Amino acid sequence: MKISLTVNGQLREVEITPYTRLLDLLREDLGLTGTKEGCGKGECGACTVIMDGELVASCLVPAPQADGSEVLTIEGLGSRDNLHPIQESFVETGAVQCGFCIPGMILASKKLLDENPHPAEEEIRLGLSGNICRCTGYAKIIDAVMMAAEKMDGRESDQDG
Amino acid sequence: MKKYGKGMASIMFGFGYGEGFPDHSIASIEIMEDERIQIKTAAADVGQGVITTVIQIAAEILRINPENFEVIQGDTHKTKNSGSSSATRQTYFTGSAVKKAAEELLANIYHYGSIEFRSNHPELGVENGRIFLYDDPDDYITYWELARRVKESGNRLEAEASFFPVTYEPDEKTGQADKVYVAYTFLTQVFEIEVDTDTGIIEVLNVYSGLDLGKAINPKNVEGQIEGGTVQGMGMAVMEDQIIKEGKTLNAGMTDYLVPTSVDIPKFEHSFIEDEDSEGPFGAKGVGEPTLIAASPAIANAVYDAIGVRFYELPITPSKIKKALKEKNEENK
Repeated sequence: MKISLTVNGQLREVEITPYTRLLDLLREDLGLTGTKEGCGKGECGACTVIMDGELVASCLVPAPQADGSEVLTIEGLGSRDNLHPIQESFVETGAVQCGFCIPGMILASKKLLDENPHPAEEEIRLGLSGNICRCTGYAKIIDAVMMAAEKMDGRESDQDG
Repeated sequence: MKKYGKGMASIMFGFGYGEGFPDHSIASIEIMEDERIQIKTAAADVGQGVITTVIQIAAEILRINPENFEVIQGDTHKTKNSGSSSATRQTYFTGSAVKKAAEELLANIYHYGSIEFRSNHPELGVENGRIFLYDDPDDYITYWELARRVKESGNRLEAEASFFPVTYEPDEKTGQADKVYVAYTFLTQVFEIEVDTDTGIIEVLNVYSGLDLGKAINPKNVEGQIEGGTVQGMGMAVMEDQIIKEGKTLNAGMTDYLVPTSVDIPKFEHSFIEDEDSEGPFGAKGVGEPTLIAASPAIANAVYDAIGVRFYELPITPSKIKKALKEKNEENK
């Protein structure tokens, strides 16, 4: 079957099977390997993307459900030469170690800051609690979101999401 | 009711393979003509930051901006053995190999520079990627130009070095040897916790760490190692419980094997003790694995401080705490 969806601002038509996961559509069909597969059971948050403004575990979303939707992946947030303020903050605070959880962490941070531009530390901890990180101990990731909130203060949140 | 407790633990950790293994690392470094300095090492950066660390080391020795470096990593065609990214050894071993290679290269810069300037090396200065005569600093040669001239003469402006320290196998009977490991990292941590006597949940509030690491080459990376290792140690102490029955793990998933998340972690304060007691690069020692070890004994001590019960088995789960409190209450009746 064929579905069409908007990924990172671009309309894409993709031929899929009814049981393709959104995660596989993104990684295999569109080559967007920034989205990671961790547990494959919706527990770890590594495959987090933003679909129609909501955080979803893309390993749990059947691709047919994404027909007509708008999806933001890490590739759509910023680029190497033009980092999003959240990405900048992750770099500057040293919040990235192995990096596997980071695409999901950053999209979860974006969703959090879109809804709550000035979160308290406790709110950041809650907002990221669906994303598991094994390397960093989370402390610098929380610092990064605090820094991003400051950087984005007064700026338009952004255009993509 | 919530009960507050404080516990401390100190650990020491011998890093590297040690015990007489032929543990070593080889690195090379070359000045290219196009304003790049290439470091070649097989050291795998798995997020701990060894690549950043070796660039900092080489930049310090070669007195040039770290921006100029690129690292060829783990390419079997281009790199030689650096050993594994394990045993908390890469900063010490590959850091040392890169430092030695950079020193050899610096000596070559002086050598070829003294030929170009027809002068003796004490008369020559090296700064910001330039070599010059102290008498006339404006008449300099850049590293890149020097590399070009060296190439014209049929050589390359490069160096390779290995770091190959000796350790000894411990005596079978006494467990002793002159040097079992290349060096030891020391860590003391104080944990402040709260035990909820109704739910049995341990909340870790604050962790204060004093780490004797010789030298923090990249302090932010060191903090990252402490925080990550400590949170793994915390998981081991209070929640991570692999249940094995007849050789099969029953909870091989994130639903029933719990690991710490962002809501579980404490606030951290770190202090570094930069006591250069080893032959590591600029005195630096390894800080990976040692950061995990103190959490369990420190938390067990803090739990004892909070509720007066000693635990001898990990993890100290809520159900174990509730059971122990119940038993204690019954004893007191």
